[in-house]
Amino acid sequence: MDLINPHVVDLSRFQFAMTALYHFMFVPLTLGLTFLLAAIETVYVVTGREIYRKMAKFWGHLFAINFALGVATGLTMEFEFGTNWSMYSHFFGDLFGTPLALEGLMAFFMESTFVGLLVFGWDRLSRASHLAVTYLVAAGSNLSALWILIANAGMNVPEGTHFDPDTMRMQFDSFVHLVFSEDAQAKFVHTSVAGYVAASMLIMGISAFYLLRRQHREMALRSFRIATLFGLISSVAVITLGDVLGRMDYQKQPTKIAAIEGLWHTSKPPFAPWAAFALPDDAKQENHLEIGIPFVLTPLITHSFNQPITGMRELEEQADPHIRSGIIALTALKHYGETHSKQDLADFRAHEDDMGYGFLAMRHSPGQDVSTIPASELDRIVKQTQPDILPNVFVTFWSFRIMVVLGGYFFIFFAFTTLLSLRNKLESNRWILKLAVWSIPLPVMATEFGWITAEAGRQPWTVFNRLPTFLSSSSHTVSYMTFSLAGFILLYSVLIVAEFYLMFRFARRGPETHEPQEQNSQDSVVSNLNIVQGGH
Amino acid sequence: MTVYIVLKLIWTGLLGVLLTGLGLMVGMDMGVGTLLRFIGRDDAERRTMLNIIGPHWDGNQVWFVLGGGAIFAAFPSLYGTSFSVFYVVMILLLFSMILRPAAFEFRSKVSNKYWRSSWDVAFLISGFVPMFAYGVTIGNILEGVGYHFLWTGQYIQDENFLSYLINPFAILCGLMSVALSVQQAGSMLMLRAEEPLYSRAKNYASPGGIIAAILFVIGGVWIQFIKGFALTAPVDYNMPANPLHGQSVVMREGAWMDNFHAHPVLWILPAIGVFCMIASSVLLRLDRAGLAWWLGAGSWFGTIATVGAAMFPFLMPSSTRPDQSLSTWNATGSEYGLICMLVATSIFMPIIICYTAWCYHVMRGKVSVRDVLNSHDSY
Amino acid sequence: MPRYLSTLLKLAGLALALVIALLFAVFVGDQGPWYFAWVIGTVMIILISASGAALFDAQEQRNNLLNKENQS
Repeated sequence: MDLINPHVVDLSRFQFAMTALYHFMFVPLTLGLTFLLAAIETVYVVTGREIYRKMAKFWGHLFAINFALGVATGLTMEFEFGTNWSMYSHFFGDLFGTPLALEGLMAFFMESTFVGLLVFGWDRLSRASHLAVTYLVAAGSNLSALWILIANAGMNVPEGTHFDPDTMRMQFDSFVHLVFSEDAQAKFVHTSVAGYVAASMLIMGISAFYLLRRQHREMALRSFRIATLFGLISSVAVITLGDVLGRMDYQKQPTKIAAIEGLWHTSKPPFAPWAAFALPDDAKQENHLEIGIPFVLTPLITHSFNQPITGMRELEEQADPHIRSGIIALTALKHYGETHSKQDLADFRAHEDDMGYGFLAMRHSPGQDVSTIPASELDRIVKQTQPDILPNVFVTFWSFRIMVVLGGYFFIFFAFTTLLSLRNKLESNRWILKLAVWSIPLPVMATEFGWITAEAGRQPWTVFNRLPTFLSSSSHTVSYMTFSLAGFILLYSVLIVAEFYLMFRFARRGPETHEPQEQNSQDSVVSNLNIVQGGH
Repeated sequence: MTVYIVLKLIWTGLLGVLLTGLGLMVGMDMGVGTLLRFIGRDDAERRTMLNIIGPHWDGNQVWFVLGGGAIFAAFPSLYGTSFSVFYVVMILLLFSMILRPAAFEFRSKVSNKYWRSSWDVAFLISGFVPMFAYGVTIGNILEGVGYHFLWTGQYIQDENFLSYLINPFAILCGLMSVALSVQQAGSMLMLRAEEPLYSRAKNYASPGGIIAAILFVIGGVWIQFIKGFALTAPVDYNMPANPLHGQSVVMREGAWMDNFHAHPVLWILPAIGVFCMIASSVLLRLDRAGLAWWLGAGSWFGTIATVGAAMFPFLMPSSTRPDQSLSTWNATGSEYGLICMLVATSIFMPIIICYTAWCYHVMRGKVSVRDVLNSHDSY
Repeated sequence: MPRYLSTLLKLAGLALALVIALLFAVFVGDQGPWYFAWVIGTVMIILISASGAALFDAQEQRNNLLNKENQS
């Protein structure tokens, strides 16, 4: 019974993907809202105008509702590496655990400790101290993202680490390489700034909702102005960094970029078309109904007019010698574990770089053991393993396109709203206000699809070219997985319903303003009573 | 002694510190959750209790996150194996932990009676279950856990999850952990609540230390009859972190007492534990809640240190393949990784302690029912 | 504490902050240009959006004045 059960692996993947996507609904908002709060509060401290204090408090409450679920679901993410990906943790934990621990030490502690003061400290702190607290929360939440994305970059482009046959795991060997890997840098900035976009859209949407209902006008117009400028610059940065990431994939993760572009055959520059629409067929390895824009693909990905991009069929062909060499490496490694002989170590060292491909071949080997492959079976197993090096093209291709289209839309939308806001013509253009309200969920969707692009495109690996997903999961039974999945679905559904209920309710109610022009005195008595009874 | 050996020892010590900090800080908040409906008789009182820990629970909870992260980085194989082996227990713990942030943020935002009492139940679950699971896990580890490793490093489960839950010794440990958390919560409530919450907190919390002490002593006697683990041959302390080779271990009744027999000075650790538990209960009766809180910290220290001293060098022994038990010598990260983490910890831990103390300072003072009801910001 | 001493301390503190900022800029700018860009960019985004609000206040003030003039 020591064989890996593919159903358990699939269920573990499903559970991780669901919980990660769920967690990631709240995180981008936290990343952006904290800095937006800081911007609003900065205006308050500089100008001393009461309206900005009200704004900061109002959006601060919205932030707090969102933050709670971000924290709650973040616990799952950390624990799942241990509960469901034990082999991964063992194999990569020496490197991967370090940024996670540092996240706790230098970011999450700061963020969580000061968030209490952010909410409860208004009357106990001086203006400047409270502003400093807000900045610390903002820095903390984004530093949190920094360490998580450094860890994620470690999975996608492992740097600062090497495999050690004595401990049977990747050993951490360079902090600087880990932290300053190009992939980590670009991933962090891309994600953090995407959070800025999401938060800007949320604030603009809710402000637009008030403007449409002609409520809280003073607050809504100002919030809209701040958020639209915030969003405009951020959306430019998101696009820039997205481009950097694409080039990085081209250099370091050829299977991912080929899948993103649905490129089955190596491109022929400079004509090679960029597929704007296609239905990639993973089984037949071709695209249906492809509509391409010529001359776009090569400069878009390679930033040149003459470099070809290797197609997936060619990548598959190229994998053949790597798989054979990987099988030798893994066989030698297994013997080395029993004998500790110099000869086995030398054999392993000669083929070490292809070790991951050997792991990949385990799945098709008799008894999931590559050292027992009979010579007659070798060709068949290599053939079977070859297609495994590719990610699911349909998913990668389409999630990328949805993300890109949304990203472009945000840029255009923010440019429009900024123009209207600067010329004070928002209220006479009700269609754009309505559009703003309906656009609230779009940036979160875009970040979710971005995550899918990056992580589905990383398959079949958890540690790129080193450890396959198939091997990484814990050896649970299907019933364990059913239990946890059912629990997560139940619990997360209840929480999301409660969260949306509260968010909508809170947004509808608006800020605790008692502006005489908007509320008559009777109303404010009623709302005061509500506060006493309802906490708000 | 090489640098690597020293690092292995330091990190084993720090693991103990983390588990102590976790029990203390998270346990305190969990205790408030457990006691919520017993001490708070009406909604206003319950909200007051929540607001006493309101500004701090989030920061305290990071001890939990940091505990997980530090084990991940410093003991990668231990992290992967222990969390997976205890899957059902860990998932239950996780579910109850997830409820907590939501309960804090959501409960008081709607005035409906049923809404609020549902979240009160969530507080009870998320206070009791995690502390219970924490103790249960430690109890199970003391008894040895059924797992072994394949040559790739993959662990294989050899025991059913029910044996971790339906297990008298583990339940005893779980109850002790809950008792300590209730005691700690009581001292915090007494420090920051007014009458009538104050007296009720006193009544509920002051037996906590005594009960914990009794359970601790029973556990201490019980452990003599439990099969502990002992090395049968000297190990190379400098060995590469790989549980597959290099240890030979037997299971023997009373083996957990070996370290105490070899070094009688270790008896001071359980003595500190029992003394602090009893003394903090007495101090609570004498209305010296501040001092009692610090003695509560001593109770956690004494408990964790006693367990650590008994088990050293084992971290999670395997009952089905004792040779593959995870220990200080074979379960740590690489030398480089441990150095990085140590540098980071020694820079950031003092900073964390400073700003946590500052936050408590800013939010100091009694929290009254009226303040809570009048503030827009309160939970 | 005499006044010049506290001024001196403040100056020393400022100087220290400057040195740290400079070291950070040199090291991170060298090793991680995108991180550096993020720091600068975020500060810029905050400042621009905050000044957007200040601009709004100024525009509103002018509009109010214009309205009053029109009425009178």
